[in-house]
Amino acid sequence: MDMFELTIWKGDWGLPSVDTECLQVLVYAKFNGIPLKVNAVGNPFNSNLPILKYNNYTFTKVKDIIEVFRENNYNTEQNLSRKECAKIMAYDIMLKEKLFPALQFIWWVDEKNVNELIRPWYCKAMPFPFNFYYPGKFERQARVIFEALYPVEDDISIIENKVYSEAQKCLTLLSTSLGESLYFLSEKPTLLDAVVYSYLAPLLKAPLPNPALQNHLKACTNLVTFVARISERYFSNECHEYKTKENAQNVKQYTHNEFPNKRRTQLVAGFFVTLMMATYAFSNGILEVSAKDSEISDIPVEDSITNNE
Amino acid sequence: MPYPLLADSITLELEAQEPWPQLITLYQPYEVEQILLPDNANCLAVQAFLKMCGLDFQIEPRSNAEYMSPSGRVPFIKCGQFLISDFDSIVTFIGNKGTSLSDHLSANCKADMRAYISLVNNIFINAELYICWVDETTLNEVTKIRHGSVYPWPLNHYLNWQKRKEVIKKLNVLGWYNKTLEEVCNEVQNCCTALSERLEGSDYFSGEKPTEVDALVYGHICALSMINPSLPRTVQKITATVQEFPKLLEHASRIGRNYLNNCMLESACDFEMCASSSKETLWNYSESIEALPPLSEDSFEILLLNP
Repeated sequence: MDMFELTIWKGDWGLPSVDTECLQVLVYAKFNGIPLKVNAVGNPFNSNLPILKYNNYTFTKVKDIIEVFRENNYNTEQNLSRKECAKIMAYDIMLKEKLFPALQFIWWVDEKNVNELIRPWYCKAMPFPFNFYYPGKFERQARVIFEALYPVEDDISIIENKVYSEAQKCLTLLSTSLGESLYFLSEKPTLLDAVVYSYLAPLLKAPLPNPALQNHLKACTNLVTFVARISERYFSNECHEYKTKENAQNVKQYTHNEFPNKRRTQLVAGFFVTLMMATYAFSNGILEVSAKDSEISDIPVEDSITNNE
Repeated sequence: MPYPLLADSITLELEAQEPWPQLITLYQPYEVEQILLPDNANCLAVQAFLKMCGLDFQIEPRSNAEYMSPSGRVPFIKCGQFLISDFDSIVTFIGNKGTSLSDHLSANCKADMRAYISLVNNIFINAELYICWVDETTLNEVTKIRHGSVYPWPLNHYLNWQKRKEVIKKLNVLGWYNKTLEEVCNEVQNCCTALSERLEGSDYFSGEKPTEVDALVYGHICALSMINPSLPRTVQKITATVQEFPKLLEHASRIGRNYLNNCMLESACDFEMCASSSKETLWNYSESIEALPPLSEDSFEILLLNP
């Protein structure tokens, strides 16, 4: 039998992938227990990710990929009523309308996030010549989205407010809709859960410098546990890897300060500078001391000692 | 996140200072000569919504309604000092005044309703925009003539071009511009299927009483199913798609009968009648709308509906 081969954006921060669409496909595959060969990559230069290769065919749209899975009898929606399937479609569209712009804004427009987290991350994730081109391209694409969605609004802060307010309302709706249950539609995860997870997980897990919307999401505790539940159950490897890495980093940071022996360095530098300036002053004759021969001969000796340090 | 919430509560505060109830004026483009499919659907939806709420309103047709609207979209309502555009904002505004159609629903149900509003707003509006501004035949035969009908000669071409550019930019971002007509029809069909499934056997989407979704669906189904048969084949395709769902047509005619008590509902349900009605009868209406001075013959050919 042919294997499914899925190419996705690589992940970080305990996520299997940083991209919403890639996550959606991957999570859906995991729900169904599909045997997948996953390539996590950092250069999307040939086409848009995710890409599924199966039987020598290539699929790139989320819709098509899920359709392929279903054709192969991997389907979590079999036992749902048609009304529930309609609900999945409606929620899918709503999340795309409300949360997708917010995520784009947080990822590529909010300056603090872009400069401190997102752009450095993508620059590191992509191979050399592409990392100069693609982050800029993604930023421009995101800006075009907001120009098109709000054609009469010029002020970016007004757009930001509108986008965040819509997204907040949407998160609250999701929170009420989920309530106390484990998953959105039944006891088992469905496509709807995959879709919701794909939007919420990046928002929740990325260590954003400007966590405005993230804080709101963290306040919806049932959504946070929902994301944690899926991460734990289906992506435990990534989760643990990140946790251990983070812990290791914390420990490292604790023992190795950014400037170890700060005081000693300062002292040595101060001493060296004073010495150099004094030497200069003496050699140019700015400062004249009626020195005895023995004192002058001391200076070069001292100099060489500090250099050796 | 203080900012958006702060902004929201400030608007709420300001709105609360207004006396209520007040006369609501609904501004929209001229229905006969000018209005396009997406705008028409939205206007019908807002009208239905206001009627369902039992609020009185006056329809004020303006040729430049689009430019008067704070968001650049029609219709918009004027209520005291406030101008509110877009279906969602109008619903929120009226809701803040204490009149809401979905108060009796459970929180869970309300969330579902919001999701369905998003579904309708995205699929139907994008499909309508696509038909009007991307499909070449409709663009040349209908859209350009109608959209430009209220402006003098060189200006109409410029404004058509500008509007088309804006719409295409939006559709491009949303991933609709590169679709084929087939794909657009498929999307509409999927959306109609979903709505039909949700409706099941009940009168309205959430049981006995109509809610905001009902108003919105009514607007779009009405606008789409009442397209004049003299229009290009591409538009007819969408109409045919919608006609496949008798439940939705019935739903629309029920709302029309119960809330808008005018005759168009009968024809909404009976497409044949609409198809056979002559140009004169289509043109021969107008209760609230003052007729514009006659324009060119062409512009009458493209009546999209008969309110």
